[in-house]
Amino acid sequence: MESTTRSRTILVVGGGISGITTAVEAAEAGHDVVLVEKSPTLGGRVAQLNRYFPKLCHPTCGLEINFQRIKKSRRIKVFTMATVAAVKGGAGGYTVTVKTSPRHVKPNCTACGDCGRAATSEIANPFNYNMDKVKAAYLPHTMAFPMRYVIDGSVAGTPEGEAIKAACKIGAVDLDEKEETFDVEVGAVVWATGWRPYPAEKLTAYRYDLPNVITNVEMERLASPDGPTKGKILRPSDGQAPKKIALIQCAGSRDLNHLAYCSRICCLASMKHAAYVREQLADAVVDVYYIDLRAHDKLESFLLRVKDDPQVRFVKSKPARIDPGAGDNPILCGENTLTREVYAEPYDLVVLATGMQPSTAEGDMPAFDGDLDDYGFIFPEGETISAGVAAGPLDVSMSVQSATAAALKAIRATMA
Amino acid sequence: MSQAASPTPKQKYDLNFARWVYENVDGGDRMALCMQCGTCSGSCPIGTQMDYGPRKLFMMIRAGLKEKVLTSNTLWNCVSCYNCVVRCPRKVPVTYILHDLATLAVREGYAEATHSDNALFAKAFWWSATKYGRTDERLVTAKYYFAFGMSEGYKRGMANMKIALGMVRTKRMHIGMPHKVKETSELHKILAKAAEIEARNNNK
Ligand SMILES: Cc1cc2nc3c(=O)[nH]c(=O)nc-3n(C[C@H](O)[C@H](O)[C@H](O)COP(=O)(O)OP(=O)(O)OC[C@H]3O[C@@H](n4cnc5c(N)ncnc54)[C@H](O)[C@@H]3O)c2cc1C
Ligand code: SF4
Ligand code: SF4
Repeated sequence: MESTTRSRTILVVGGGISGITTAVEAAEAGHDVVLVEKSPTLGGRVAQLNRYFPKLCHPTCGLEINFQRIKKSRRIKVFTMATVAAVKGGAGGYTVTVKTSPRHVKPNCTACGDCGRAATSEIANPFNYNMDKVKAAYLPHTMAFPMRYVIDGSVAGTPEGEAIKAACKIGAVDLDEKEETFDVEVGAVVWATGWRPYPAEKLTAYRYDLPNVITNVEMERLASPDGPTKGKILRPSDGQAPKKIALIQCAGSRDLNHLAYCSRICCLASMKHAAYVREQLADAVVDVYYIDLRAHDKLESFLLRVKDDPQVRFVKSKPARIDPGAGDNPILCGENTLTREVYAEPYDLVVLATGMQPSTAEGDMPAFDGDLDDYGFIFPEGETISAGVAAGPLDVSMSVQSATAAALKAIRATMA
Repeated sequence: MSQAASPTPKQKYDLNFARWVYENVDGGDRMALCMQCGTCSGSCPIGTQMDYGPRKLFMMIRAGLKEKVLTSNTLWNCVSCYNCVVRCPRKVPVTYILHDLATLAVREGYAEATHSDNALFAKAFWWSATKYGRTDERLVTAKYYFAFGMSEGYKRGMANMKIALGMVRTKRMHIGMPHKVKETSELHKILAKAAEIEARNNNK
């Protein structure tokens, strides 16, 4: 590279478990890191899980220690509510334009919550996949990092906004804050932008419009103590505990009409969901509808453990469709491929195991010249460095491995 | 579809028939990608009326069960709704495959196929369409009924007489000469040409 002013700084785009890992590894190896995260907090989708396999630990396990490492490190600079607008240059010398959206709360916020108490209007809560609402002045979730409130732009210039501002005793509210862009000079860029749940409304035969058809990510929130039901698994239509639940595997994945690839984690995520249900609801039965169950590597032992429970049954079938039934019970229709029986089975609650689609599908990232694979994953080739689910469908432990490898590649790129 | 005869497996795990289907049946190449998920048979509005349904039929092709495949009612009970084609996660054109297998079964003289209601009806329908360029309900129905023999044809005709007269009364069915396209001779030339092109393509 001809670049004369070489930079040892590494830019990491995306502050999920992968981006955090790359940032911490690179910083602890002596490099300055700029970490850019689109949402108001770090942790990405892992923070939205109730617990994670294989050991069913709480997401704070993996995340909290990393937040401590970030706090301790003087080399990591974190920008939340920020995205990358443009990337120029090449390995060793990039100029990256970062764009930030207004949070309307300054860094001196102590998360006392006075602003939240002053707020009266409510907005949809993205952390709970819009299943409930939050006040227009809110803490994104209980273990938010940074632990700092966000004020929705809708209250700016309203009497409510003035009341919120007045409520903050330390003057941390800034309703005039505007969108901003600035440039950073870095030697390497790591894309750790992760995934989004495949939009379930595109699976028209599976009737996501019915109240008791939900997705696996929503199931994580329903089971979470800080979720919309305070951790109780209840059906959305009537708030009752479901007795008969169906989990549909490969909802969108391994389907040439949707995501052509296996998302690799949803079989195990569903085993987790069967476990959540059975822990809470002693008489509930869970039917898992599958094409084949893919528990990779050592995770098979988790699958076998769930299979031991006689109240978790396995039906080898990709359901053909869901019909609305009496009492808001969705009816699953399809063919049991082992018995050849054509079934129409009503359930209290149906969970679609939707797959992971790369965040590039949202179309708000700078263009990658030919570095996206057929599915939109960022292919780690040439000067492009990607980590975690941005590079392919991976679970947390594989994401962390790929993020560590990405840190090494980034370090080498700054020295190239 | 090729005019060549399909091979009959001689032993267990003989893949010749499956390969022939992959290569010769319309959509057969994609059938090779079937992952036995069951979406097709579960999507079928008359899936319960089929002995095997498409998914199982495809597995039977792989298993070399040619005889059972070509005598299956699955070939004939498909109503061409295309639900399975739209939903198949592997984009297998299930409907085309069933149609071609039905044609194959007739061509290779399987009694279940040649004597099936659907085959006889299809034959009557095709006869009217090619002769007149239109389907005339009365002629198609008569031809179809009498395909089962004189006395059976008469019996079926009489049994439906009331409906037929009702249709005539409400102008749902006409009396008089069959409906025709203007130039049936032109139509026959087109069909002859199509047959010629098909034969040429099949011999490639
Ligand atoms: C239902 C379900 C359950 C799961 N359960 C488990 C489990 O139990 N155990 C397990 O190991 N794995 C599980 N997974 C997989 C796990 O969620 C992923 O492995 C993990 O989220 C990968 O982390 P990541 O950092 O690569 O991506 P993400 O978690 O998606 O993080 C990416 C981050 O990048 C940010 N971002 C996106 N675009 C931009 C942009 N343009 N600019 C700036 N920032 C951006 C996002 O806001 C996000 O914070 C589950 C997945 C699903 C669907
Ligand atoms: S992990 Fe399981 S549910 Fe997910 S796409 Fe793969 S096979 Fe289907
Ligand atoms: S829907 Fe497609 S992949 Fe599934 S069994 Fe039928 S043909 Fe095979």
